[in-house]
Amino acid sequence: MRYKEYLKDQLPAIITHVLSMLFCVVFLSAVDVQANIILILLLIWFLIAASYIHIRFFFRKRYFAELLLQLERLDKKYLICEVMEHPILTEDKIYHMLLKAANKSMMEQVSESKRERKEYKEYIEQWIHDVKTPISAMKLLCENNKSDTTRKLMAELEKVSHYTDQALYYARSENVEKDYFIKEVSLSEMIHAAVAENKQLLLQNHISVEVNNCDNTVYTDEKWIGFILNQIIANAVKYSGKEPKIGFEVNSKQGQVVLIIYDNGVGISEPDLPRIFEKGFTGQNGRTGKSSTGIGLFLCKRLCEKLGIGIAVKSESGQGTQVELFFPKGDFVRVQE
Amino acid sequence: MYQIMVIEDDPVIQEELSVLLRSNGYEIILPKDFFNIISEIRKSPPHLLLLDINLPVQDGFKICSGIRTFSNVPIIFVTSRNTDMDELNSIMLGGDDFITKPYNTSILLARIASLLKRTYASEHAEVLTYQEVILHLENSKIEYHRNSVELTKNELKIMVFLFRNAGKIVPRADLVDYLWDSQLYVDDNALSVNITRIREKLKSIGVKDFIQTKHRQGYLI
Repeated sequence: MRYKEYLKDQLPAIITHVLSMLFCVVFLSAVDVQANIILILLLIWFLIAASYIHIRFFFRKRYFAELLLQLERLDKKYLICEVMEHPILTEDKIYHMLLKAANKSMMEQVSESKRERKEYKEYIEQWIHDVKTPISAMKLLCENNKSDTTRKLMAELEKVSHYTDQALYYARSENVEKDYFIKEVSLSEMIHAAVAENKQLLLQNHISVEVNNCDNTVYTDEKWIGFILNQIIANAVKYSGKEPKIGFEVNSKQGQVVLIIYDNGVGISEPDLPRIFEKGFTGQNGRTGKSSTGIGLFLCKRLCEKLGIGIAVKSESGQGTQVELFFPKGDFVRVQE
Repeated sequence: MYQIMVIEDDPVIQEELSVLLRSNGYEIILPKDFFNIISEIRKSPPHLLLLDINLPVQDGFKICSGIRTFSNVPIIFVTSRNTDMDELNSIMLGGDDFITKPYNTSILLARIASLLKRTYASEHAEVLTYQEVILHLENSKIEYHRNSVELTKNELKIMVFLFRNAGKIVPRADLVDYLWDSQLYVDDNALSVNITRIREKLKSIGVKDFIQTKHRQGYLI
């Protein structure tokens, strides 16, 4: 609060005082009061009025400065109503009340939206669980009646179940911390499971698979890593090139285990590379014919961050892509053993 | 023959799962209704249980803990619910394995086989015989009239599948499927190479025309 602005606000009071003074002077001169007495009266009047306005400025300034400081210190600013001291002045009280009422109605709105969101999310999860039963039934039907057609159907079903998983993990990715189960898992088992889940997709697209010495174990959540591997395999299939292949390799460096998944597909062009983990980013590959949602890698990155795993992608257009997953070595677990 | 009880409320899955397991050499028992599952198991215990979690009357967890009061039969939970609480619950209540839908059949079969092997030590001799040709699974050798030759991992698996389907034409696609299920990622071209090598090896021990190629259909022994 600046003094000038404050004075501006006090203008009506000042004008009233000046008018009263004028009136007084006129009245007192009319009843023949001596000029110097009128002068003394005016001087005292002026001093009292000025000091009142001045002192009030300092009190108001201190009051608002304290409020602003409180606001600044608050993490959740909308709680200022609850935190601030109850005002004494009537005007301040009214503002306080207004603020409180506005706050309350806003909170109601927010919690309503939160509830709706939660219900929707629960419905999505329930729906996904429900849809998995018919998918399983279809897979079994195909498995029991093998022919070229059912093999193609199975490849499509693998895509469907991949998409439903994507939706499920998207719904859940906000609170991974509530839904994970870290244990020692074998990388080769996870790789073989991921390949098995995409078996027909890989076979139909004539993609050869290489698995090289992946005997390490890591401490992580099997389910989430399974999803990430599925996503990477699905991408490799989608963007495959001539004589396509996909390979898995494990490098054990100091302090971390690196799982490398490489393919010889179309690769990612240089300008696109830094942006592939952005939500909704489809890039050149996505635009040239292949439908892409820009969700898959975004989810991978998000899950990796939540699980404390590093993810990096190296690629050259036309030369293939290499995805690296960095698992920290669980030294603390070994100590406990 | 191992008996497996499939407890599943979806009729299509129940039926197809039964077909799949029967064709893989298991005998299937289906519960008559969902009210007396536990007493049914008490009367005629199967070798293994496939148990869904969402069931009418009683959920899978209750059935599992009910069974555990009198039996240690291996139980695999097969479910579409896959939160960690479900997995944890299933382990805490005595389940041996936990597979989520839509499961991969090869993974399901592998888990069943390994669980059965662990629980009931296998008494089968690991040898397959057809027309005096003997396939030794444990040391990966093929024998004919005391002559034997070693097979690679891929070749052994191919021979196993042909021996199991002896007398029937085996389509190449089925063979590739089986190899992939055994975690050997052999493509169509590599399969031909492997077959050629096996034929050479068979020739070296004196077996001729053991594997016939049926044009556009597959292989036959």
